[in-house]
This record gives sequence, C-alpha cells and structure tokens, in this order.
Amino acid sequence: MAVIGIESSAHTFGVGIVENGKVLSNSKAMFKISDRGIIPMEVADHHAENAGKVIADAIDAAGISAGDLEAVGYTKGPGIGPCLRAGQLAGKAVSSSYGIPLFPVNHGIAHIEIAKGMGKMGDPLVVYVSGGNSQILAMERKPFSHYHVYGETFDIGVGNMLDSFARAAKLNPAWGSTVEKEARGGRYIGMPYTVKGMDFAFSGLLTNAVKALGTNRRKDVAFSLQETAFSMICEAAERALLLTGKKEMLACGGVAQSSRLGEMLESVAGSHGIRFYRAPNEFNADNGAMIAMVAEKMLDSGMRREAPTIDQKFRIDRAEIGWEG
Amino acid sequence: MRVLSEGAEAKVYCGRLLGIDAVIKRRERKRYRIAELDSAIRSQRTKSEARMMAAANMGGILAPKVLLVDGFDIYMERVHGRNLASEAAWQENPDRIGKAIEKAGEYLGALHGMDIAHGDFTPANLMIDREGKLWLIDFGLSRATSSVEEKALDLLLMKRSITPQQYRLFIRGYRKGYDGSRMSEERLSEIERRGRYQDRSLAAVK
Repeated sequence: MAVIGIESSAHTFGVGIVENGKVLSNSKAMFKISDRGIIPMEVADHHAENAGKVIADAIDAAGISAGDLEAVGYTKGPGIGPCLRAGQLAGKAVSSSYGIPLFPVNHGIAHIEIAKGMGKMGDPLVVYVSGGNSQILAMERKPFSHYHVYGETFDIGVGNMLDSFARAAKLNPAWGSTVEKEARGGRYIGMPYTVKGMDFAFSGLLTNAVKALGTNRRKDVAFSLQETAFSMICEAAERALLLTGKKEMLACGGVAQSSRLGEMLESVAGSHGIRFYRAPNEFNADNGAMIAMVAEKMLDSGMRREAPTIDQKFRIDRAEIGWEG
Repeated sequence: MRVLSEGAEAKVYCGRLLGIDAVIKRRERKRYRIAELDSAIRSQRTKSEARMMAAANMGGILAPKVLLVDGFDIYMERVHGRNLASEAAWQENPDRIGKAIEKAGEYLGALHGMDIAHGDFTPANLMIDREGKLWLIDFGLSRATSSVEEKALDLLLMKRSITPQQYRLFIRGYRKGYDGSRMSEERLSEIERRGRYQDRSLAAVK
C-alpha cells in the first residue's frame, strides 16, 4: 500500500509516492521563473493546469495503480497562498476520488524528514535553508513533540537573498546555482556579517552586495556574498551544535543543494567529530515525495486527523511530530 | 594551559599573567570559512570585545578586567564562581537567583545607556562569584550601537531564556538601569508581533 504526496508551496508542483519510507516515484512540473520572479496567481494557474498530469505521471512511474493508494498528503504551509490552495484542491480531489484519508503536512518538516530518513539519522541538528526559510532546529519532546527553532533569520531567507542578488546582478535563473557558478575564482571583498547568537540577518548583506556591483567585478561580489552568507549560517550552526550536544548534523531545503555550503557544514561537523549528511539534490529541491513520506508517518502513527486547511505562515515549531524517530 | 571551555567563538584557557590568575580567550582559526574572512572576523571581534569590556567596567558593570590583548588573544582577570545557567545555581537559592536576575537587568540597562548592545545576553553569560556578586562575561558579540532594534534583541534573547516571572524581575532592573527602557521594550513587542518570533517555542531553553 502506497501513500501519495502533493507539494505546491512555491513554483514547483511536485507529486511523489512512497511505500514504507521508500520513494517509488517523484514527479514534478516547474513554473518557469522569468526575471519578474514568482507571480502568485500565474504560478497557481500553472499548478492547477498541471495537477492532473503530474499526479498521473507519479502513479505511472511508481508502477502502481491508483487503487493501491491508501492515503494522500498535501502541503498545508508555509508557502504562497494561491499556490498552496492549488495543492490543497488537488489533495481533496485525490482523497475523494479514491476514498482515502487526507493529511495536511508542514513543508519544512517534510524537508527535514525525508533527509533524515535517507541519511539514516536519529536525532540530528538540522540546518534548514531554502528560499523563504533559514533555520537551525532540533527535535524537542516537551511540551509536545516538535522541532525547536534554535536560531533563524531575522529577515529574509538565504535563498531569496541569493535570488534578489542574482536579479540585481543580471544573472540567469536558477539563481542559487548561478551565483555559485559566478563565484568561482572570485576574490574576497569586505561585506557586513551579522550573527547574533544563533540567529542571523541577510538584508544588510544584500543591500551592500547590490551596491558593491557598481564598483567591483561581479565575480568578486558574488564570491564574497556567498562566502559571507554561508559563513554566518555555519557559525550559528556550530554554536547550536555545542549548545545542544547533538552528534549528527543534517542540511536540507533548496539551498542545501549548494555544494559550497555542503562543504562548509561538513567542515564544521568534522571539526567536532560528528556525522554530516545532505540528501541528493532532487530531495532538497521542493518535491512531492517528501510530503508523501510525512503523510505516511502520520497515517502509520495514527495521528489525529485534522481539517484540511492551508496556512501561509505555518510555523515549523507549531507542527506536532506524532511519530517516533 | 588548561582549557576552561570551548565555544563556537573561541577557546577559553586558564593560566597566569604576571602572577595574576588569568583567563585567556583565544579565537581559533575556523577552517570552514576562507582565510580573509576568518582573520577579519577574528581580529575585529577581539579588538571590539576588549573595548566593550573596558567600557562596561567604566560604566559600573562588573566585568572581567582586560589585562592584555595580543593578536587574537585576550588575557583577562579570572572570575571564580558559578554560571547562572548551571542547574546547581538555580536550585541553590531561588531568592538569590531572583536578585541576580534583577541585577542582570540593571547591567543590561547600564550597557544600553552607554549605547552598547551585548549581543548574547543570556544566563550562560552571567556568573555569581563566591561573594555573591554578579558578573557579566563574554562580550564577544557586543557592539557599540544606538540601534533600538539591537537593544530590543538583547531583551528578546533574555526573555526567551528565563521564566515570565523572572523576566518581570529582569525588566524591573532594566528600567532602573536605563532611562530609555521604554523604547526598547516597545520595540521588543513590535518584533514579537512581526511573526518570525511569535511564540517561538521555549521548550528547549535550559
């Protein structure tokens, strides 16, 4: 018996199928981002148009029939309202057509859980870095089981910061990776570095980098911006590691695809003799399999069913973890 | 030299300098960051920390005296006592802890009055010595700034680290120590309303 998951919080409409924690398929349709960024209603239309096809693709690729599905999950939030709405509708449709239960899933939890499962980690410190989110977390059992946020960005997510810079620097999408390519062979120029304990802020860095484009080589600015931002995340993560005494560290979320960030976090972990893991890129980018994985855990653990709502600002530390490990 | 503690920021050793019991705070090279950024951060923080400690002392706050700054090392006077975050300190005498927390509020108020934000104001950076006096340590993230936001963030960090009752005592001390307290308190409620911090779970704070 398999579980299907639908992810639609931003520009990706993803559908994945899992069975006993194993990914059977992971299909997607991505809205092509122009230099105008994400326009919510246009993206929502894209998701609605592609929903049927991507769902059918995922079922095909998994080599199962729709009758084998025993539950469906969708992204409740956080995310862009109209996009979440498209996924919620698709979820409701699948649930009622096949008569299977529907589970609302927190997007961030899904990123963490799929990486945790693939990395075979028990209780890691989590560095969750994406467009809209940048947080350092770990599981906490009291007063209810949830991921406690040890540190996070004061303003924008590191991914959105890289994207905004790339647009200002006239680099092509996909932005995070083009900044990384541009940064190769760059030289360091001074940039503002803002870490407060285990929290950090990126907007000052962004403003400064955009300004620096006028008087410096683009390569050098991209390099310095990236090194500074990632160093800030590493410093906060290292502080959280020492505070929590965790023996494993995990990076997940869209920006965890960055090989440079991976290398730096690996070095932090190595200096404390702990294990570091990041999942293959396909599962760090937004995807449906991660939603399916959490929905399966919710189903198996018999978590109380809740109304199928959406919540654009669904905080990760508000999501109850009703399963073991 | 014996290692006293190892933080993300620096290693702390104890030793002696010209016959005085000293603590040496050494900012070590971090391999994850590029050398230029690494030495810029270490050098800037070492200098700034020594300056901030001296300023705090001038402002009547009990902070270790700086004996010497050498490269990425700060030699400072050693405080013998207990960290306010240690459980033993909490259980020993709740009344004394209450007083210490109010005093901590006064210290933070005095710092803010001098336009210094501490940057990491938590029970882990407060110590009670053998005579029961309260010390503020670790100015590693302190900054000279008149920013109301940064002052409010100091309050936020402390608020997240202690109970609501203790925070009331803390704020009482803070108001005593700082004429501009209302501004930072108002900014704190504004920050809390922004959402990112709304009800950030407190469970894991020790």
